[in-house]
Amino acid sequence: MDLDQKSTRTLNYFVPQMVTISKSGILQLSILILFIMGGFYALYIQIVDGHIVTGMRDNVVWGLYIANFIFFIGISYAGALISGILHLLRVEWRHPIIRIAEIITIISTIIGPAYILLCMGRLDRLHHLVLYGRIQSPIIWDVLAISTYLIGSIIFLYLATIRDLAALRDYPFKSKWRHTLYKFFAVNFNGNSKQNRYLERGLNIMSAIIIPLAVLVHSVLAWIFGMTLRPGWHSTIFAPYFVVAAVFSGTGVLIIALWVFRKYYHLESYITKIHFNYLGIILMILGALYAYFTFSEYLTSWYGSETWEMEVLYKLFDPHEYWWWFFFAAIVGVVVPILVILIPQFRSINSITAVSVIAVFALWVKRYLIIIPTLETPLLPLQDMRPEYIHYTPTAIEWLLTFAGVAMFCFLFFLFSKFLPIVSVVKGEEGTNYAELRKTVMQRIIKRT
Amino acid sequence: MKSVIKHILIISLVATITTDNIFAQKKKTARVQVGYFKNYDKAEHLVATLIVKEKRYVPLSNGVIHFYSVSDTSRVLLSKIHTDNDGKAVFIINDDNPKIIKGPSGVFTFEVEYEGNSSVNAAKRKIAIKRGDLEVSFFQKDSTKSIEVSATEIGLNDQIIPIEGVNILLYVQGTFSLLNFGKEKTDENGIIHIDFPTDMPGDTTGVLTIVAKIDDNKTFGTIESRGEMNWGIPIEPVKEKQRGLGDTDAPLWMVYTLIILLSAVWFHYLYVIFLIVKIKLVNGSI
Amino acid sequence: MENKEKKQTRRKFFFKTATAAIGAISTAGIVTQSCKKKVEEGETVSLLSPDGTLVEVDKANISMAKMPAQGKEARAGIPNKKFVMVIDLARCRNARKCVTNCQKMHDLEPGDEWIKVFLMQDSNDTAPYWFPKPCFHCNQPPCVKVCPVGATYKRTDGLVLVDNERCIGCKFCMTACPYSSRVFQWKDPVHENQADHDYSPETSVPHKVGTVGKCDFCPDMARMGKLPTCVTGCPNGVIFFGDKNEDIVTNGTESFRFSELVYERAGYHFMAELGTEPNVYYLPPVDRLFDYKTGFKTLTNEQKEFYKKSIVKKH
Repeated sequence: MDLDQKSTRTLNYFVPQMVTISKSGILQLSILILFIMGGFYALYIQIVDGHIVTGMRDNVVWGLYIANFIFFIGISYAGALISGILHLLRVEWRHPIIRIAEIITIISTIIGPAYILLCMGRLDRLHHLVLYGRIQSPIIWDVLAISTYLIGSIIFLYLATIRDLAALRDYPFKSKWRHTLYKFFAVNFNGNSKQNRYLERGLNIMSAIIIPLAVLVHSVLAWIFGMTLRPGWHSTIFAPYFVVAAVFSGTGVLIIALWVFRKYYHLESYITKIHFNYLGIILMILGALYAYFTFSEYLTSWYGSETWEMEVLYKLFDPHEYWWWFFFAAIVGVVVPILVILIPQFRSINSITAVSVIAVFALWVKRYLIIIPTLETPLLPLQDMRPEYIHYTPTAIEWLLTFAGVAMFCFLFFLFSKFLPIVSVVKGEEGTNYAELRKTVMQRIIKRT
Repeated sequence: MKSVIKHILIISLVATITTDNIFAQKKKTARVQVGYFKNYDKAEHLVATLIVKEKRYVPLSNGVIHFYSVSDTSRVLLSKIHTDNDGKAVFIINDDNPKIIKGPSGVFTFEVEYEGNSSVNAAKRKIAIKRGDLEVSFFQKDSTKSIEVSATEIGLNDQIIPIEGVNILLYVQGTFSLLNFGKEKTDENGIIHIDFPTDMPGDTTGVLTIVAKIDDNKTFGTIESRGEMNWGIPIEPVKEKQRGLGDTDAPLWMVYTLIILLSAVWFHYLYVIFLIVKIKLVNGSI
Repeated sequence: MENKEKKQTRRKFFFKTATAAIGAISTAGIVTQSCKKKVEEGETVSLLSPDGTLVEVDKANISMAKMPAQGKEARAGIPNKKFVMVIDLARCRNARKCVTNCQKMHDLEPGDEWIKVFLMQDSNDTAPYWFPKPCFHCNQPPCVKVCPVGATYKRTDGLVLVDNERCIGCKFCMTACPYSSRVFQWKDPVHENQADHDYSPETSVPHKVGTVGKCDFCPDMARMGKLPTCVTGCPNGVIFFGDKNEDIVTNGTESFRFSELVYERAGYHFMAELGTEPNVYYLPPVDRLFDYKTGFKTLTNEQKEFYKKSIVKKH
């Protein structure tokens, strides 16, 4: 495949990093593996001793695991929505960041559901979902939606990397297996016009389909909570609320990832302030939207002041219970990012990344606050002599598995970066294609009228 | 030397305390209760219940109850029966049991005895009964449904005499209990008439079981008789629900929506995979 | 040897000893509850007939009775029944016998309660009352709706049961149930001699780690014409149980027409606004037999404090 000058330069820049690993890289990698091993150890304990080793009990039956599940599915939005929309809108600055976004999507869509499995009492009966599945259950919707979403994301990422794979196939690697691997996945792509046309058509279809799918996935997730008759959950705006929160946190994670890779791989020339500024503005808009939903949700339940809704609200606003967390999650985590990005003088690569970190953490806490206080507020009085049945405290096992999830996220990212350049090398020719598309559409319209 | 004496003293003191305790241990009070029952299938039996006083009276299981037939002059052992988990022992009265003594004016006297053991006291109780019978007949005139019950007893020479002035209760048999719907004293012919309620549900064909009972009478014990009639309001047979949120099968709209959504998405996936295959195949010039 | 009332759960007892029925004495199968010892002696066996009286029969006449329903039968329900419970709040003084009886029969660990007794107070100005709460076996059960594998299901006789051999332990039903009726088996069950029982959703034992359990209205007992253990255990006759189709409910000593009882005593559904259509009816705590304070007598000091603290608050 013939490459233009810029693409060749990019390729030559990335390939050495793909085939080698620095000393500090080995150290970081071993720390990650240590955390992952810690997770496996915790998992072993949990399987042997049962869920008694977690902090979950009969009232708070879902804890940290489900919060992590929502969180990871949330950040998977980075790729799906952002790259999908940017692709459809032909935004020119998307190229350096789109690959990272899509990888985030795939990794977090793999790790997220793993937390559901951790929360399941009988992992050995997973096949019952196939044997006895009831499509009335939102859990089945979730299984179908997430698996469809994951496969769609993989196809999308694959399509977007075919050009790079072809370039890598033609690159003189020393190791033979890389050649075989890239040759297989490059599907004889050599950039002829037909192949380009097929590829662009596939990309258009996938980016169009991944957007509603992503919305659906998070709506279904929200419905798991929304369908129950629980205060703080049984809300009609839960689905869009979750979707907005997810894109918000997804954008935050994308900004953080960009910052990390920029530093780590010295991509200052590829990922520039423009990217941070644009993504920052997207983050700000989403933050405002999220704040609007939050305000609407809590104002409605406070104004209506149903007994049980009030019970939950009192817990969230009680300084002895969840107030400071709530304050951080619903106010600090939204207002600070908005203000910092809104005022141009405050806007910088580092400040935007810093507020993204705040936003992502706030969103994680928010997920925790969605689950725990509601489950600690059953409709009947909590008259149980066992204190651990009244208040949920995550145990070391749960924390170990949480950290293991984050470590796994980084580890998989690392693995990806050893097989693919994390910035796309070869630009497509969608410009011509786009014109062609518009032409055909116009022709159809003319035909009809 | 002193210390040795001290030790001996202590030992003997301890010994007295412990032996005292053994002797001080009182035997528990036991009680036997006995009732006579005649089932609707005419089977007659005596039920003895053995209870022991702990904090309150509790049933004693696996205790041996002796059943005797008693007259003024004699006492004949009929059977020894162990009590069950509820402290109950049941003796079946057979008409042809030669050991059972018939007393004057048709009265049978039985005695039940528990002999006790090392920790429980003995107990006994007598019961004197006349053997009676209940006959239930059903009449329906227009919309009025009425039940006639006649109570009789067996005299000394096996003649049948109506029982006058005994309370007869009428019930409908339920799954777990009897539901009372009438109570009346028999007249001089030993007969009562009771109207059956019009709004009682039966089974799917309207059949229900009506039970007449002399309940725990001093002379006659408990006598029961029953009959089946289709006097109830038939109930709708319960059908399994079809297709709902809470049922095995989902509502159809849900099935269709899911199929349409999934097939729309997966069709596109397949099409894109088809495109990838085409990319592989059109390996032509640029 | 004579020993006091055996400290066995009744349910265990049924499985261990010869569960037997006879056709000789009555048409309705009579089921034994007798001592194992007597069977060995080979003389006679005491049997309990469906109307609650005992009869003595020869061992030779005994054949094995039906075990609790399995498989499809356990999912279908007892034909033409509609089980219903009525709880008379005016009679409850928190004797807690329903709780302990249930725990005994279902081999529950201390603290795990399938029927709970709450201390309720509807407003600061009204009197507190004791509130026994089993599973409501709703006609619109939120737990059944959300179960992804149909491990919890609604039967034609109105019961909502859990099949812990199908349950995957996702706990969605526990969050869906607005009445906190479900209990999760967080660790390996400590069971005495449970392993030799066949599991049936009708007995709910033995438990399995990582699955959900709850009040089952004792359908295995109902098949034998016997009342649930919470009903028979209650010393105050608080709980009535019966078949809505027959319109008869009983607490073991008294029987009422169900329709008349809930009509005359103003029976109500707890939180009817949730639309779950429970099969448990409550009779309001009016003209009470006991002051609610007598309910504290059975409790430890710790429990007392606890109950007082956690009584429903109105903000």
